[in-house]
Amino acid sequence: MKNLFSLERVTTVVIIIGALTFHQFAGYYGHEILAEIAILAIFAMSLDLLVGYTGMISLGHAAFLGIGSYATGILTVHMGWSVAPSLVISILVAGLVAALVGLFVVRLGGIFFIMITLAISQMFHAYFLKNREYGGDDGMPGIPRIDLESFGLNSFDPADFALFTLFVAVIIYLLLDLVTNSPFGRYLIGIHQNENRMRSLGVPINRYKLAIFIVAGTIAGLAGSLQAQHMGFVSPDAMYWTVSGIVLIMVIVGGTGSLVGAIIGAATVQLMTHEISSLTEHWMIYMGIFFIGVVLFASDGLYGTFARQWRRFREQRTRPETQRMDGDA
Amino acid sequence: MFTDPTFLFIQTLNGLQLAMLLFLLSVGLSVVFGLMNFVNLAHGTLYMLGAYLGLTVYNHTESFWTALALAPLGVMVIGMIFYVTLIKRLQKAPPLKQVLVTFGLIFVGLDTVRIFWGNLPDAIPQPNLLSSSIQIFGETYPSYRLFIIALGLLVMVVLYFGLEKTRIGSIIRAGVDNREMVSSLGINIDLAFFGIFCLGCYLAGLSGVVAGAVFPVEPGMDMSILILTLIVVVVGGLGSLKGAAVGSLMIGLAETYGQVFVPEFASVTIYALMVVILLIRPGGLFPVRAE
Repeated sequence: MKNLFSLERVTTVVIIIGALTFHQFAGYYGHEILAEIAILAIFAMSLDLLVGYTGMISLGHAAFLGIGSYATGILTVHMGWSVAPSLVISILVAGLVAALVGLFVVRLGGIFFIMITLAISQMFHAYFLKNREYGGDDGMPGIPRIDLESFGLNSFDPADFALFTLFVAVIIYLLLDLVTNSPFGRYLIGIHQNENRMRSLGVPINRYKLAIFIVAGTIAGLAGSLQAQHMGFVSPDAMYWTVSGIVLIMVIVGGTGSLVGAIIGAATVQLMTHEISSLTEHWMIYMGIFFIGVVLFASDGLYGTFARQWRRFREQRTRPETQRMDGDA
Repeated sequence: MFTDPTFLFIQTLNGLQLAMLLFLLSVGLSVVFGLMNFVNLAHGTLYMLGAYLGLTVYNHTESFWTALALAPLGVMVIGMIFYVTLIKRLQKAPPLKQVLVTFGLIFVGLDTVRIFWGNLPDAIPQPNLLSSSIQIFGETYPSYRLFIIALGLLVMVVLYFGLEKTRIGSIIRAGVDNREMVSSLGINIDLAFFGIFCLGCYLAGLSGVVAGAVFPVEPGMDMSILILTLIVVVVGGLGSLKGAAVGSLMIGLAETYGQVFVPEFASVTIYALMVVILLIRPGGLFPVRAE
């Protein structure tokens, strides 16, 4: 059992304080980026449940982001629902689709799991690309934002909406912290480390994989709904396979297998993309080289490397003391 | 119109043409996938580089055939550099790393092309010899497209005999079955696989040049073809020549018929086809190794 003040939780609190401080001083542009990062952090955390905890490498996670977005778009724009119930239904729809997809895919492993998730997400992409009713490749504009007046917030003010997304991200973090530290979460990590041993212990592997696939899809759907509200727009691009690739990179950059790693990765990649693309038109080449470098030379990711250094630092600090005590004795 | 036999015949030729392009691409990817356990998402990038190098050679020599001869060799050299710098050290890495490194390469490749050749679509002109049309059953059909089909079939036959009837072919087949055993017989299996990798890059470049004369040569042309190629490889079974051939035909024809008969669902059909096949036969249609 992880102790209450684990390095991961302390780091998260520091990040939240940092984000709130930034929110206090940021202008329009800063608030927009903060909302983007909060939404992507939710998305990245949901993928990390699969990749980092359970070892299921999905290259199609953007499908659920897109489904959450489209569900919100369809319910609000086409059916005239208000946003709050649409948000709830969008999350449920994404979870339901994840359950249906998961039933088929969880039994596949390794490269075949990568490929089938890729194919299924591209199938959804192709469907919405051709569907004239929901805008085809032009997408669907005019998606409203959730009404936050009862909380004293105006969701069309970038500052207030950023605060809202940040709040949701924190809630999701707390929820997933609970999940990953539960016996269920421990089983997932066990499956990642040694699937055969878990199977021989009598653990129904596929049932656990399906359960986490549904949880991950549901939360990705939430991120999708928030993204649709933030941009006021959804297009098939939201579920293109490169989006799945980039969120996978985010998880790796931050460090797999820790929720705070996913958050750090989302923030780092998004900020870098913004900064580099404002400097040069050819930001992709720099990001590509950065991705390759991280995977090759720092595959523990930013948080993973930090955590390792921290542990070493702690050990070094305690060791000389024990030696001195030995000498005294 | 849909039951008109000549119309169906023409569509079948179109389907075959796409299938042959997919075959040229997927056979190399499949080999790298299946024999070297390497997931190369940047295979489409090699195809795009083939098209652009072909364009450059054409612009300097005004000759399609020179472009067809030289550009694939250029792509092969680029592939060799990939191999030495990245792929060799990633061979034993988990698939996640391979996917992400080659994903990064896609980004790098895309912008490299933009920097050297710009953003605008271009085209390699078809050679004079093949720029006319042929009459088939009273329909005119561009002879260049028949050339693509013929080239694909030729490569298919050459690879089949190379793999089944030659010494190198048997080394490679044995290497797929049991790499350690072949090594312990004193055969340099790494060298053999390196040769196969280079051949795969060459074929990717070749299909790039060939495709550059029918499809627009533009940044991003790698993305659309990559997904189709991956589907072919997975449907056919990793590392299998027969799988690549059958998979290409299935996907090429399904895609073409789909576009004509059910345009609304065309692109959905091939993905659905892949999902169904993977669920029935998780290793693809003709897996080389039992998974």
